[in-house]
Amino acid sequence: MERVPTNVSDEFYIGWEAKAAPGIGKTVRCAVIAVLALALLVPVVLAVSQRMIGVSVFEWGTQKTFSGVLQTQPYPHLLVPRPGVNEKHTLQSVLFSPAMFSTYHLVAPWKFGLNRAAIAPLDGKSVTLKGTLIYRGSQTMIETKPEWIRPNEKTPNSASLPQSVALGKQTLTGEIVDSKCFLGVMNPGQLTPHRACAIRCISGGVPPVLLVRQKDGPAIYLLLVSADGKAVNKQVLDLVAEPVEITGEVERQGELLILRADPVTYRRVK
Amino acid sequence: MGVNYTSVQWNRQKKLYDAVLVGGVAAYLVAFSVLTKLLFPRVTDEIMLIRAFGTAAFVLLHIILCIGPLCRLNPRFLPLLYNRRHAGVTCFLIGLIHAALVVITYHAGSDTNPILSIFVSSPLNGSISGVPFQPFGFFALLILFLMAATSHDFWLANLSAPVWKSLHMLVYFAYALLVLHVTFGVLQGEGSPVYVGAVGFGLVTVLGLHIVAGFREAKADVSTETMNVLEGKTLTPRAADSPLNDGFVDACAVADIPENRARIVCLSGERVAIFKYEGKISAVSNVCQHQNGPLGEGKIVFGCITCPWHGYQYQPDTGASPPPFVEKVPTFNVRVKNGRVFVHPKPNPAGARAEPAQFEMVGTRSTASQT
Ligand code: HEM
Ligand code: FES
Repeated sequence: MERVPTNVSDEFYIGWEAKAAPGIGKTVRCAVIAVLALALLVPVVLAVSQRMIGVSVFEWGTQKTFSGVLQTQPYPHLLVPRPGVNEKHTLQSVLFSPAMFSTYHLVAPWKFGLNRAAIAPLDGKSVTLKGTLIYRGSQTMIETKPEWIRPNEKTPNSASLPQSVALGKQTLTGEIVDSKCFLGVMNPGQLTPHRACAIRCISGGVPPVLLVRQKDGPAIYLLLVSADGKAVNKQVLDLVAEPVEITGEVERQGELLILRADPVTYRRVK
Repeated sequence: MGVNYTSVQWNRQKKLYDAVLVGGVAAYLVAFSVLTKLLFPRVTDEIMLIRAFGTAAFVLLHIILCIGPLCRLNPRFLPLLYNRRHAGVTCFLIGLIHAALVVITYHAGSDTNPILSIFVSSPLNGSISGVPFQPFGFFALLILFLMAATSHDFWLANLSAPVWKSLHMLVYFAYALLVLHVTFGVLQGEGSPVYVGAVGFGLVTVLGLHIVAGFREAKADVSTETMNVLEGKTLTPRAADSPLNDGFVDACAVADIPENRARIVCLSGERVAIFKYEGKISAVSNVCQHQNGPLGEGKIVFGCITCPWHGYQYQPDTGASPPPFVEKVPTFNVRVKNGRVFVHPKPNPAGARAEPAQFEMVGTRSTASQT
């Protein structure tokens, strides 16, 4: 026998030959089975480990009609009277009994808030509008357009509209989310993967919300406004989708919680 | 390479390869989507698909990157390399679908141009979770696009093999960008250690295989180099064997080379493949003109050196492909004396004939055992 290195098998693969040598064929079949097993195992593991997908709904493709009182401050929303709730309100009833109105945040399609100038004449008026419902937990929102909002004959009883109740100065830690995506248009719609989208939405006028997650109990949503109660969309962009701590005056207006603080005092934590 | 060029373009092996490729990708996408939908019925479909396609492309890139070192460690894996370019193009297309869905979902319909938005919508704010991760994905996709667009042999010929090869080495840069893309992206959101573990496992596998394969190859090169250096410097014992003092270098023993195969030696920093066939020895450059495959790991088939990667063929004495093909590799002058092969380290022009060295089969054995 000629003395040749024996570790080289003489089988040789040529792709343009119809069939591979049996030994090579066997190795490759095993490799292919391993790769295909990987192609099934990896997606299963990754899909099961997802943690950020919550329970939220965007009734995409379904339009409904809503009637109520249009409010433009601090961010556009619609107050829809709840049937059968006591009209007389005291501090007690405002804080502890079911609100007399359901509150629907109002936003425009895509990554925009409602055009405030277009709806300003309807502020405080009874209106009927059509739009698509978005909801998560206790929070509800409607995607609509100014031209879909029509004034009603009825004049609302302004005395029964929810009044602001100051809840005092508080320090809260949470994440600034764009309310539209987080409440249902995108799920998951939070943290870094969604950051750029959230920044575009808030920049486009979607109300910025401080999402305070609680260990036990539902998350709390606070609309962010400046110390003098104005929209702060453009000032909060840098801190969107980041853990932040905000100290400010909290007030309740019907179902809405509002956090008044100067955005320059927001602090990134962790 | 057969003489019938069209049959090389599409053959049974390529069809098998692509069937497995497409089947595997489809299985991945279906498994991810169906399971996500079952476990989280409220998930947004676009985001589910963004994730299915993004992770599928990333996993496929890992597989593509592992094929190279696997083949260097064990040539039996070479069939996985045969049609790897289709895997590369597929990876680009899946990545493109991921990116297109991201642009439509996360960037379109805003106050900023959607492509510009990839770059400006995540302003730096000094925190790790705020690092804009999407531009990394964009540049990785750009590299994958360049590679996919130039993957055809037409470009290989037009760009010249070295340029093409360097362009395709960018895949490692693309991989690095994608590791950053997921590290600063989804890992900052999905807190699950499974995601961190999966990315780490992938990185360790890719790096580990490359290091092991590279280390082995370097060791093989060094051993022939040191052998040459040792024998060149301390010529005395074998000076008599060296035919003439004319620059030929003792490369190996005839008996070291299996019949119809080659031994790769490193001469003046260049790898040379020394083939033994039909009682003759010929040496050619180790670098295939097609995609720089290692010719010395090939075999003489139908009288031609056949590249282990895609089966391109060269005549051992001239280094030229048999007509009608035009690829040529440099040849080296060889001599056999006392059962040892001497090679002149200066290459002849590609395609220039070098007389094969004849050797006596019987003599080889006795000389071989005596050295
Ligand atoms: C223009 C190019 C790209 C953009 C804008 C982009 C954007 C994104 C975004 C926004 C996410 C987070 C998605 C989410 O979970 O909500 C993401 C995740 C990811 N991307 Fe990309 N990407 C691009 C290219 C690529 C390419 C080429 C690949 C792979 C070949 C890739 C692989 C991944 C992976 C593995 C993830 C993590 C899984 C996921 O969350 O989807 N990306 N990318
Ligand atoms: S590298 Fe493709 S055949 Fe040699």
